[in-house]
Amino acid sequence: MKKVRGYIFSRPFMGERVPQHIQNLVIRDYCNRNNLQYLLSATEYAMENSHLIHEQLMRDLTEVDGIAAYSIFQLPENETERSKIYRQVLNQGKTYHFAVESLCFNDEDSSARIETIWKIKKTLPNCYLFD
Amino acid sequence: MFKTEAEKILSLEYLEKGYVIRAASDLDALDWIRNQFDRIIRELLNNVSDVSTENLLNNIHSYVPVSQLNDFRLSVIREINAIDKFREMYYRVAMDYLDALVGNELAMQLRINLSIQLPGDDSSLLPVHADVWSGDSPYEVVLWIPLVNCYKSKAMYILPPKSSDELNQEFSKKANASSEGLYQSIKGQVEFLEVRYGEVLIFDQSLPHGNRLNDEEETRWSMNCRFKGVFTPYGDKKIGEFFEPITLRAASHRGMSFKLPELK
Repeated sequence: MKKVRGYIFSRPFMGERVPQHIQNLVIRDYCNRNNLQYLLSATEYAMENSHLIHEQLMRDLTEVDGIAAYSIFQLPENETERSKIYRQVLNQGKTYHFAVESLCFNDEDSSARIETIWKIKKTLPNCYLFD
Repeated sequence: MFKTEAEKILSLEYLEKGYVIRAASDLDALDWIRNQFDRIIRELLNNVSDVSTENLLNNIHSYVPVSQLNDFRLSVIREINAIDKFREMYYRVAMDYLDALVGNELAMQLRINLSIQLPGDDSSLLPVHADVWSGDSPYEVVLWIPLVNCYKSKAMYILPPKSSDELNQEFSKKANASSEGLYQSIKGQVEFLEVRYGEVLIFDQSLPHGNRLNDEEETRWSMNCRFKGVFTPYGDKKIGEFFEPITLRAASHRGMSFKLPELK
């Protein structure tokens, strides 16, 4: 069974706030459904723009088969930083999972799919809203 | 509006009736989908080898008791959603109509839903509802595709736009009892939609709709999935967790990545 390290947030992300135990439940459920061994989640620091914990996970990536974050939108908002993450994961032949979206990436196509969703999310505030 | 005549007719019908029923844009894609169901069902059940696909679906109540229906349904949903091309084929079945009614840059629901309604079974009923009442964006449409012929109580019903407007004006008065009370107040105006295998239904999910006890002798099998313009407003169902872009165009890819040059 493939081992994945959980990754959750302790602060809102892209306007969303989810209790930590709910993030863990969603990741656990995703891992059960996808036959993955869920390793205890690392919790990102609450300070705005911090990805220090994530940085550590990437350094430790060789020890696991991948990462299971709660959401796509917990990746860094900065595009260059996201690109670096895609590259590191692909170069090491790992898989990065996103539990609430039930999506993952492990090759060029699937990482492009994640990046497109990110870009649309960033563009949507410029589109009009309804009440 | 620079629409073709066919697009104008389709749009007008959708706006007036709240739905359109048309022959599948791609019947091969629909047959491919039904073959996937046939294969999955035969893998789950072991006493159906000499039954045709149509009979198997229409008479699934002879093989699956109500007590096992939900587990059976969830197994089938899991299987269909695990098939790589399934969503693409689903889109193809109604591609022309979706492009005309919704747009050519579409977001599609990540998972396709399945409804199996056995004759006389009250455990799978959907009370009257509009999806917008529970957080969907009014910019979404539902593509509803039957795997068998659906008619009378084997079909779903919808409240037409004019009646829906009237309901909205009196909503607090009519909706103060229960969802069944609400249905009783509109049952004279709802329309049961006859949709045959080979046809697709696209309807406005902001209109009240649902189903009633299936009093026919056959089981209803239908799939449903939501579509919207990728850059139109989202409700509680967001991009990524519920919707995914499926037909994003080159100019949008370019625009989303564009940055003005910096001057320092």
